[in-house]
Amino acid sequence: MAIRREPSRAQVRREQMLAAATYPLDWLEERSGLVGGVKYFLFRKVPSDTNWMQTLGSATLTAFLVQAVTGVILAMYYKPSPHDAYSSIQNITDHLTMGWLVRGMHKWGASVFIILMFLHMGRVFLFGAYKYPRELNWIIGVLLLVLGLTAGFTGYLLPWDQTAYWASVVGINLNGTAPFVGPWLAQFLRSGQEINGNTLSLFYSLHMLVIPAGIISLITLHLYLVIRLGVTSPPWSREAAGREVVEEPSTVRTGLTRPAPHGGASGGSD
Amino acid sequence: MAEEKPSGLDERRAGFARYKKDVKERGKSFFPYAMFHDTVMSLIVVSVIVGLAVIWKWTSYGPHHDGLHKGLIGPEYAPPADPGTVSFVPRPDWYFYFLFYLLRIFKWPETVFLGTIGVPTIALILLLALPFMDLRRERRPSRRPVAMVAAVLTIFSMGILTWKGATAKEALASEVIADVPSWVTQEKLPAAAIPGAKLFATAGCTACHTYLGTGSSNLGAPDLTAIGTRNLGISFQIRHLQCPSCVTPGSPMPKFASLGTARLHELAVFLESSKGKR
Amino acid sequence: MREEGMTPGPPEHGPSPTIWPLGFAVGIAVALVGLIVDPMVIASIGAVIAIVFGFLWARDATSEMRRAAPTVTAEVREATPAEAAAMPEAKPAPEKMQRSRFLEGATLGLGGIIGGLVTLPVAGFALLPSFLGQKGHKVDMGPVDAYPIGKWFISTFTVDPSEGEVSRRTAFVRNNGAVGNNVPSFTIISNRCAHLGCPVQANGPTGAILGEKNVTEHTVNGAILLRPVVPAGFGCPCHGGQYDTEGNRTAGPPVRALDRYSFEIDNGHLVLLSTFSVSHVVGVGAQAKIYKYKLSGPGQHVDGPEQWFYPLEPPHH
Repeated sequence: MAIRREPSRAQVRREQMLAAATYPLDWLEERSGLVGGVKYFLFRKVPSDTNWMQTLGSATLTAFLVQAVTGVILAMYYKPSPHDAYSSIQNITDHLTMGWLVRGMHKWGASVFIILMFLHMGRVFLFGAYKYPRELNWIIGVLLLVLGLTAGFTGYLLPWDQTAYWASVVGINLNGTAPFVGPWLAQFLRSGQEINGNTLSLFYSLHMLVIPAGIISLITLHLYLVIRLGVTSPPWSREAAGREVVEEPSTVRTGLTRPAPHGGASGGSD
Repeated sequence: MAEEKPSGLDERRAGFARYKKDVKERGKSFFPYAMFHDTVMSLIVVSVIVGLAVIWKWTSYGPHHDGLHKGLIGPEYAPPADPGTVSFVPRPDWYFYFLFYLLRIFKWPETVFLGTIGVPTIALILLLALPFMDLRRERRPSRRPVAMVAAVLTIFSMGILTWKGATAKEALASEVIADVPSWVTQEKLPAAAIPGAKLFATAGCTACHTYLGTGSSNLGAPDLTAIGTRNLGISFQIRHLQCPSCVTPGSPMPKFASLGTARLHELAVFLESSKGKR
Repeated sequence: MREEGMTPGPPEHGPSPTIWPLGFAVGIAVALVGLIVDPMVIASIGAVIAIVFGFLWARDATSEMRRAAPTVTAEVREATPAEAAAMPEAKPAPEKMQRSRFLEGATLGLGGIIGGLVTLPVAGFALLPSFLGQKGHKVDMGPVDAYPIGKWFISTFTVDPSEGEVSRRTAFVRNNGAVGNNVPSFTIISNRCAHLGCPVQANGPTGAILGEKNVTEHTVNGAILLRPVVPAGFGCPCHGGQYDTEGNRTAGPPVRALDRYSFEIDNGHLVLLSTFSVSHVVGVGAQAKIYKYKLSGPGQHVDGPEQWFYPLEPPHH
């Protein structure tokens, strides 16, 4: 008996530990259902032959998150006034420990974010993934592109150097040439009849509060629709492309319980 | 494009139902299969961002601790903003180069708003309307020739505009003047032509004319690298500079008479000495 | 659908008692405003309104609990004639329906009021300061003697020294000499390109190439830098706009001539006043006929058919 008791005690202990580990999760699940939600998100089915190109969307999200995190840190040291902006940028880049890295990541992350948005859009176009029922998600994506470019435009002024100032002058005046509303739009962006100190803080507020809030809301909607409508399979896919199957594939199911490995080469196993 | 049978929507619904069924039956779970690839791609993205930041900082700061040093991919910052400058050419960030160059293309006053607002707005509307213009269910690129040709043309034109914007030159007197010594050596200019060369560099000539690759070509103005080989003569050059359209009817070149005859003579000497790269 | 069946019933019965919360809210609002404006009188009035309406509301809300039966009988009595026989069990329903409909309306209405109270000030503050109360400035450019007749200067100055560098501007200035009854004439051209606002440069030799020294005048507007120049015209390096020495467009995309400053002579000093737009200039210097327009943004036509694209200019100084 004593010999049998020992493993069982270990078993009990293991079970207790497991229970202790899952207890917070169970607690959370019972009160919020969040664990189930995350599980649904992680273990939802996607077509078995998704393509490397389809990682561009999540890569864009990663780039945005990098922008968000580095931007928040930069806001702790940046001073949005014509008097201090340039010297605070100099301070961040040349004096504060690792300031150059965070500013560099934000500066270059912006370019990467915008390139990825275009690439992701190109992939969606190539795959015809904007078609029924994903039209709305395409529109949200286009709006995200516009907001992303606007974030780039407003952020460009913040270093308050020659390039920043004059590119913004031209950018604002571009808006000013729009028929009827242009002059009003331009004067709003300038916060007055000429560019002044308030222009910089307006752009700062747009860049770090208004536009990110818009981008985050639209990304949430975008992801919700991706999860709800599912990930598109490549258009040349032999399965899950939604095409009418003319003849049954002659291959036999292998009986493997695991889904097929990634890539189209293994199509025969399904 | 919209030759839809009445059953078009039903067909699309059925197609989507088939897709849903297929995915449910034969799909893989997002984690870890698809997410693994997403993670690899995100790692690449983050590495590129950090890498760019490192290259930017380590090549730009320069030996003399100068944030304006250009480095491999750009300086840390430009000189501080000067709203009263007379010697600066603004450039947008690279992803607006296409727009920057578009503005140079629409060089007639009547068309300004086409470049500033018109073309971008039309492009935006086309993008937003895309799913409603292309209602076919077909997704295979090989069977969507119109869409693919349109995509290639768009990418091509955006690429060209961006490239042209990136390489566009401008005639900034304060920068062109720095090229004068190299003109002197390359063209073997005589000492008498140097004051004229300096005038040429500062008087806005390079806003329309090019000279040994400097300046921007506008209004169909000729390259002046070897204008001296045409042996037009000093007095012709002076008369031409005083009133270009009097000598060459229809010339869009502005008059330079206000520089005064002495300076125009210097300019003429420089032009007549410009016999090309020697 | 069921509504149609009960139209004969008393329609105003439901809404009438529940007006109290609205009065209560008004009372609270008046009390809050009163706390700021006049704590003694207005705040007390607000408090009284709030208390009275609050009491009535509480009484009304608890009436069902206190005496449920009388309300129901009253209901029956009023609805009897045609209704009672037809749908006897629908009796409690009308009151509920009316009530929920009223609550829907009230919730939306009150929500709208809250939204308005927040949105109006926020939107107003976000938009109006850009348009209202725009100030003009006077810039003392130094003594008129600093500008020899017939010579051009690239003049850089601070419009409002209290704003600092951000108000630095550049103009091309030429003294045309006195005309007529000793009235001074200046040509003062803004260096903001009429295409998209890039910094326009003078096409001509300056400084060492010209062989003349820069001058700095110190005035109430700080240091005014005067750089002598002999321009053949003005040019914009951004998109290739070219202008002659009167600011007329000669080539490229600018939609009009360069903007100009109006000026006055005060105590022998040249003083810049407001800026105005110019479609074109005929003639030269003091004899020039300037076609003036209200200051417009770069890229906006002031004449020709395209001017109708910009019918309403925002308030400028």
